[in-house]
Amino acid sequence: MASRASSSAGNAGRIKNVGRTAVPVRLGGRASAAADKTKKKHRLFALANGFDMPFLIILMIILAVGLISLFSASYAYSFYWNDGDSFYFIKKQLIFALLGVAAMLLVSTIDYHILHHFAIPIMFVSYVLLAVVLFLPDKSGVHRWIRLPGLQFQPSEIAKFGMILLFAHLISLNHRRMNTLTRGFLPFILILGMTCGLVFLEPHLSGTILLLSIGMIMMYVGGTRVLYLLLTVGGGVAAVIYMVFIKGYEQDRINVWLHPFEAYKTNRDEAWQTIQSLYAIGSGGFMGQGLGKSRQKHLFLPEPQNDFIFSVICEELGFVGAVLVIVLFALLIWRGFTIGMKSPDKFGSMLAIGLTAQVGVQVLLNIAVVTNTIPNTGISLPFFSYGGTSLVMLLMQMGVVLSVSRNVSDEKT
Amino acid sequence: MAKTGKKGIVTKAPTRQMWRRSVVVLVVLIGFCFSALTGRLAVLQIAQGDEWQQKAVSQQLSDSTISPKRGSIYDTNLTPLAQSATVWTVIMSPKDIPDDDTRQKIADELSLMLEVDHDKLLEKTRKVSSQYEVVKSKIELALRDALSEWVQENELTGVFRVIEDYKRYYPNATMLSPVLGFTGTDNYGLYGLEAYYEETLAGKPGRIVTAKNGWGDDMPTALKFEKTVDAEDGNSLVLTIDSVVQRYAEKYLANAVKEVGATNRGAAIVMDVNTGAILAMATEGGFDLNNPMTIANPDTAAAIAALSGDEQSEALRKARQAQWVNKPISDFYEPGSVFKVFTAAMALEEGVVDESTQFNCNGFLMRGGARMNCHKKGGHGLQPFPLCISNSCNPAFIQIGERVGAESFFKYFTGFGFTEKTGIDMLSESKVTDVLYHDAGELGESQLAASSFGQTFKVTPIQMITAMCAAANGGRLMQPYVVRQVIDAQGDVVKNVEPVIKRQVISSDTSARISRILADAVNGGGSKNAYVAGYRMAGKTGTSDKTDQQVAEGVKKDVVASFSGFAPADNPQVAILVLLDEPHAPINFGGTISAPVAQKIMADALPYLGIEPVYTEQELANMNRTTPDVKDKEVSAAQNIIDNSSLKYKVVGSGSTVLRQVPEAGTSIPKNGMVVLYTEENGAEQKAIVPDFQGKTLSQANQAAAAADINLQIAGVISGADNGGTQGEAKGGRQSVEAGTEVKPGTVVEVEFIYEDNIA
Repeated sequence: MASRASSSAGNAGRIKNVGRTAVPVRLGGRASAAADKTKKKHRLFALANGFDMPFLIILMIILAVGLISLFSASYAYSFYWNDGDSFYFIKKQLIFALLGVAAMLLVSTIDYHILHHFAIPIMFVSYVLLAVVLFLPDKSGVHRWIRLPGLQFQPSEIAKFGMILLFAHLISLNHRRMNTLTRGFLPFILILGMTCGLVFLEPHLSGTILLLSIGMIMMYVGGTRVLYLLLTVGGGVAAVIYMVFIKGYEQDRINVWLHPFEAYKTNRDEAWQTIQSLYAIGSGGFMGQGLGKSRQKHLFLPEPQNDFIFSVICEELGFVGAVLVIVLFALLIWRGFTIGMKSPDKFGSMLAIGLTAQVGVQVLLNIAVVTNTIPNTGISLPFFSYGGTSLVMLLMQMGVVLSVSRNVSDEKT
Repeated sequence: MAKTGKKGIVTKAPTRQMWRRSVVVLVVLIGFCFSALTGRLAVLQIAQGDEWQQKAVSQQLSDSTISPKRGSIYDTNLTPLAQSATVWTVIMSPKDIPDDDTRQKIADELSLMLEVDHDKLLEKTRKVSSQYEVVKSKIELALRDALSEWVQENELTGVFRVIEDYKRYYPNATMLSPVLGFTGTDNYGLYGLEAYYEETLAGKPGRIVTAKNGWGDDMPTALKFEKTVDAEDGNSLVLTIDSVVQRYAEKYLANAVKEVGATNRGAAIVMDVNTGAILAMATEGGFDLNNPMTIANPDTAAAIAALSGDEQSEALRKARQAQWVNKPISDFYEPGSVFKVFTAAMALEEGVVDESTQFNCNGFLMRGGARMNCHKKGGHGLQPFPLCISNSCNPAFIQIGERVGAESFFKYFTGFGFTEKTGIDMLSESKVTDVLYHDAGELGESQLAASSFGQTFKVTPIQMITAMCAAANGGRLMQPYVVRQVIDAQGDVVKNVEPVIKRQVISSDTSARISRILADAVNGGGSKNAYVAGYRMAGKTGTSDKTDQQVAEGVKKDVVASFSGFAPADNPQVAILVLLDEPHAPINFGGTISAPVAQKIMADALPYLGIEPVYTEQELANMNRTTPDVKDKEVSAAQNIIDNSSLKYKVVGSGSTVLRQVPEAGTSIPKNGMVVLYTEENGAEQKAIVPDFQGKTLSQANQAAAAADINLQIAGVISGADNGGTQGEAKGGRQSVEAGTEVKPGTVVEVEFIYEDNIA
């Protein structure tokens, strides 16, 4: 376990009397019981006092399946757009995956408790970046990316992590007053509102929805009164209904969703995506066309390596393969939540639940979009979709979950 | 809850509420949401899978057709009349043009080479997102080669490609045009036989199914999928039509139409009497099948060019429709006296007359309150039944019709096929409706009277000649046809067409009797302008007023002058019908203008068709002789040779050897014609002046020719027969060398003789 106590000690003063009773730190089931120093050393794969192996295994399987899928999905697109180099995307993604796994393992060795001290600074930096990005040059009307030489990232991704961290931080320190309006609801809704508002301005609808969902889940688990949440959800729903049905916003998106073939006549590009995705999924049938044999990825599906990678999986691996991927994610989420619930402290618990919920909600939204179950908002599939920075960040966050899992006591398993 | 220490801030363990709520989130997220997605996938992939896949496949597979080669159309001797040849369509991919200079170059050079509009081509080169722009369709081999050379030179192989296509060619351009019809640019038959036999000719298009990517390009090799179903080439038609006979018919018909100024053109049909096979079907003023949209008649074309706007396009449309009309099967006309053949036939068949029955003609008869005139003022007097036909006497036929009676008249009228389509295998045979004729109930006194001599009802030329064949061939009404065989691309016979007998109309005995009567009418009778030496032609002329024509008062209505007959009369083989619509010659009778056309066509066609001539003694006596070669021979020897050839001679000069002869050896001249023998190299050139034969009788012309040292060649009617001269003699008409021309003695001058009696 990393001991960076000296640095955190200085910050302790800022966190005022959040807890009244000092409870001895439980350093994980074995840590206190066994004095064996070697077991306490940073043995990555040690079962004893190591991290949660099922979570890691599931995650690695997902990552492997994701990479294979990306290779297959991007193969044709890459061939056509990169002078016949079918390996362009997979090469880059593979490098980032390796980097990401390394980063994840590294992060998993760090005691997550130090993150308490980063919660507010990271959120603050996120706000700055979210504000800055609005003034950067747009790409086809949206301001989502900050591009630095050799690195490009979405501030909303950082904000997402920042918000999960801040919420975990606040909930764990304020847990007893989570059922009050002033401490358990308003601060959260304020942070959530600001973050979502800024992301919405980019505009980045799927990011906004994702943030909202994660925030609400964390508030709910954290102990916010259900009444407040219901009121918030009710208000949100009312607002959406007002915007869409009364003011007529997002009509194109709604039309494409409800009547893709009719919408195709007027709104070609949007409807094209949806139609092609449905063709791909439907073409898969029960058993699929076989790995690598998607026809829809041959320039029918726009950017099959991104948001619509799941459609290619459906086409190639069929219903069986698609369900397998869903099951893998379900297992990951279940394991992530388990880690959270068994975490010896509320901070670790909320971090694991928040970070895992993030993956879950994103998977849910992505599959719902590609199957045209909900309107197309443009959202990627975690561990599958192409995007180096995003993959590395995601894996690092999984590293945090793994870090939390190191403290889980076996007795509660 | 929190403690700051060695491990930083450490909070208490999660509460039960957190645990509970986590489970709720898990249940909602996995148990509900993920399950719902799985359900949705099941619907899309399993329940609707096939449906989606079908739609996906339809966009993933490109289905392109391979054009089959359209079958040819041959005449009866397998001379091609319509053929398809491979041509190419030039496709350009503007997307692959490297720069603007190249665009300019393409427009500049290709517009000249391919004869396309420069600016339009330039515009096409700028459609940079397009990969498929048709530059020019249907270019031929030479141009394609030139183009590929140009493309190679300019390194534009990625920009241009050619697609194989077929183009229809009609080697004879105008010949048989309304019958053959034409195809559109898509090789689909639009008109005539091309349209009627579309299915036979078209063949079955093949398909190439290829997997395509989203841009419509071929898939990479690993996923390449291609399936080819070969095109089945179309079958070819072998017509009953003989191009040689067709050419005769078209030539003489065109000449006649021009000469007599037939404003509504003319039609001619030559038909096999016994099978109904069409040997020739001509409409004057055909159009060029290779350019069917172009107005063939220069006057009409000029008139249309002078118009503008809607008026012009309407006029153009009408002119096209008009020139495409296949008159022999589409146009109705009142048959006039030709129909008397059938009135006579039914009278004989019913036994109400025989060859000895006498009919009186006083020049007119009153029927239904109307005065019905005979063409001969004062009448024909008492005449036997056969002469009624020869004289084409209307009052006699009114009486004959009345003997037959309305009921029987209509029975035979229907029997001869005048109330129905003939069923010829052609597209535009006009539908016959009962407004065109009187049925039994409508045949009152005046209707029956007029119908008896072929007025007040209408028929098509094809109906008429089909009925004429029935009258000639022993009474069988045949179904006329133009396609005798269908052969496949390898030349194997797919189908042989057998003649179809529709019914027996009259007995063969009646048929034979009618044939004899009609033969007499030609051989010295009223139809004698159709006489063909060596063949006993039978037939009947007709001239009918266009009674329904709208004309100003005092203006004579136009007429239709026609002749229909067959030969040889004692064993009918070939039938003919010639029709001149709205002629404007000085004399517009069928006997005067249509019968000679039939005569000329038959005179050429019958020997060609291998029907042996049987000459009468008189015909043999009048037959031409071929001049012998007497050059370089002693004068006395030459005289002997010429004497032995039943020819005469005239020696010019005092030499002993024949140096030149006029006419030259091998020339056909009439018996007792003159050969002039020149014996001196530089002797004074003898001159003969061609006399004017116009209006001269045959004997007058012979005398004039002999006096002028000219050889007279009689064209048209070579009347060897003599029927007692009830009608006038044939008179000289056109001559091949103009009167007053100086020629060498012995030159052959051809003169056409025509009977100018007013025989309708």
